[in-house]
Amino acid sequence: MGKTYRERLIDTLNHRDPGQVVVDLGSTSITGININALVKLRKGLGLEEITPVMDEPLQLLGRVDEDLRQAVDAGVIGVNNGYTIFGYKNRDWKEWTLHNGLKMLVSEEFRTSTDERGNTYIYAQGNTNYPPAGKMPKDGFFFDNITRSHATAEDEDLNAREDYKDDFKVFSDEELRFIQDDVNNIYENTGYGMIYNGALCGIGDFALVPGPHVSDPKGIRDLQEFMMVHHLDPDYIHEIYEMQLEVALKNAELLYQAVGNKIQAVYISGTDFGLQRGPYMALEAFQEFYKPVYAKINGWIHDHTEWKTFFHSCGSIVTFLKDFHECGIDILNPVQTTAAGMDARMLKEQWGDKFTFWGGGINTQQTLPFGTPEECYNEAMERLEIFAPGGGFVFNTVHNIQGQTPMENMLAMFQAVKDYNAKIAK
Amino acid sequence: MKENTANRSLWKRITSRSEFSIFVGLVVLCVLMSFLSERFKNNEIFVPEMLVAAKAMKRGVEVLKPHLAAGEVGAMGKMIIGTVAGDLHDIGKNLVAMMIESAGFEVIDLGVDVPHEKFVQAVRENPDVKIVGLSALLTTTMPALRDAVALLNQQDFRKDIKVMVGGAPITAAFAEEIGADAYTPDAASAAQRAKELVG
Repeated sequence: MGKTYRERLIDTLNHRDPGQVVVDLGSTSITGININALVKLRKGLGLEEITPVMDEPLQLLGRVDEDLRQAVDAGVIGVNNGYTIFGYKNRDWKEWTLHNGLKMLVSEEFRTSTDERGNTYIYAQGNTNYPPAGKMPKDGFFFDNITRSHATAEDEDLNAREDYKDDFKVFSDEELRFIQDDVNNIYENTGYGMIYNGALCGIGDFALVPGPHVSDPKGIRDLQEFMMVHHLDPDYIHEIYEMQLEVALKNAELLYQAVGNKIQAVYISGTDFGLQRGPYMALEAFQEFYKPVYAKINGWIHDHTEWKTFFHSCGSIVTFLKDFHECGIDILNPVQTTAAGMDARMLKEQWGDKFTFWGGGINTQQTLPFGTPEECYNEAMERLEIFAPGGGFVFNTVHNIQGQTPMENMLAMFQAVKDYNAKIAK
Repeated sequence: MKENTANRSLWKRITSRSEFSIFVGLVVLCVLMSFLSERFKNNEIFVPEMLVAAKAMKRGVEVLKPHLAAGEVGAMGKMIIGTVAGDLHDIGKNLVAMMIESAGFEVIDLGVDVPHEKFVQAVRENPDVKIVGLSALLTTTMPALRDAVALLNQQDFRKDIKVMVGGAPITAAFAEEIGADAYTPDAASAAQRAKELVG
């Protein structure tokens, strides 16, 4: 009898040959699929036509249901506390229609409005008594955060702990029970691997700095000001991260009490340190502000659990890899091989024994959306041949599959994975 | 000897004038920004440092501006810049605007999610504008960039302006395909290219 998905995931995260490549589709908010693409993929795979569920509202990601998971041989499920990035709970689904006519199910707490130009606005915690937290332009495929506080580094009334006090919360008993029930159900009734996918310590994550989950965010929330305050008032940043770490350590402890080692990985941070052509910040800044915090949370996790630490960073981050490894990062995502220096072969050869590459399966900026099916197949196959041997690889696209991706291209990519696994089957 | 004394006296008269101090201040600022732009282009300094530098530059120019004759700021010409319709991203565009301002242009920033017609209207309201810069960060807003440039290309003022495009998914080939005059991959190159376009 072959290994379960969970066993294969454990093998691959520990750099042992899993026998078959583990595939992820939809276990996290950065390894998923836009709902428009999800509908096309389901159709291409001949699955039942359903009203899809949109459970990640910032990027309009579709929920990957069991039939789709089986169809693409995905082996990882994400678990979380039930709350979305906009601070509302996913529950009691209601129908909602996107500007292009696509009907989907959204949470009862998903609240939007539309203006005369066709822009759609979303409200933090579903609370329309405050200005909206996100905006999706007409014909858009996802929301962008709206900056709702215009404090600058030169303001005299800045107080990091006061400004960010609503941003970081310790898990409630209800949330822990929710997580525990979900994990136990998956653990006892399936062979799927699991990742806790609500970023435990996303310090400086540009998706979170504006406070999308907070009704009335205070302090520095503008991304440009946030970057500048690292120089102009570094104590402000240090204090935010110190506060965030306190909560993260507590939540890690509570999470372990709730689920033990039934989960295999935990998403720690989604902060992007890279741009297309290089890092966005100096390595020295990373070493001052970020590395010590990551070292503490990763250190706790490695000392107390068997979990592997999952980090997301878009862009060119080659010069940061040594420090990433030193602060205890186990898993790299999305592995943006189109960014400068992020050559797949180099990554596997020089860093393959130190990091699991969770991503890197295909170029989502050009090949997958704009290439031919043959190009998609060939590129995915090439990436499998580079990254998969010896474990340390979970197949996923470089970040989420975007909404306009052609059906044929997605099918070709997943066919490559199928063929590769058939080729290496023992 | 008499000539040297005369020259020294002339030099003293020039450098004692406040306009000279202001001129030197402006030159120093521009040279520093140019120096920093080069380091940014070479990945020796990064986005946060450039933002702080640009903020400092802006403050410096604000101090000097009231003391300068009209037209001395923005002596290189006027540029209109904006992120195209449907796109809300602006950090890159803002960096470009700051660099081009540092290069001696007067920059009119239309912001984000700019309707195509607004670019046209801005040019009509500023007939002395020399460059229109359009930014798109998303592959999904590349069509909007194409349409905005197409609309500009249809106008009678098109021969009097240069159109520059940029943004993460944009390439030189795409820029040429849509009828833009220039594409640059980053903010530092954008400032240099802008100077070349009006030179």
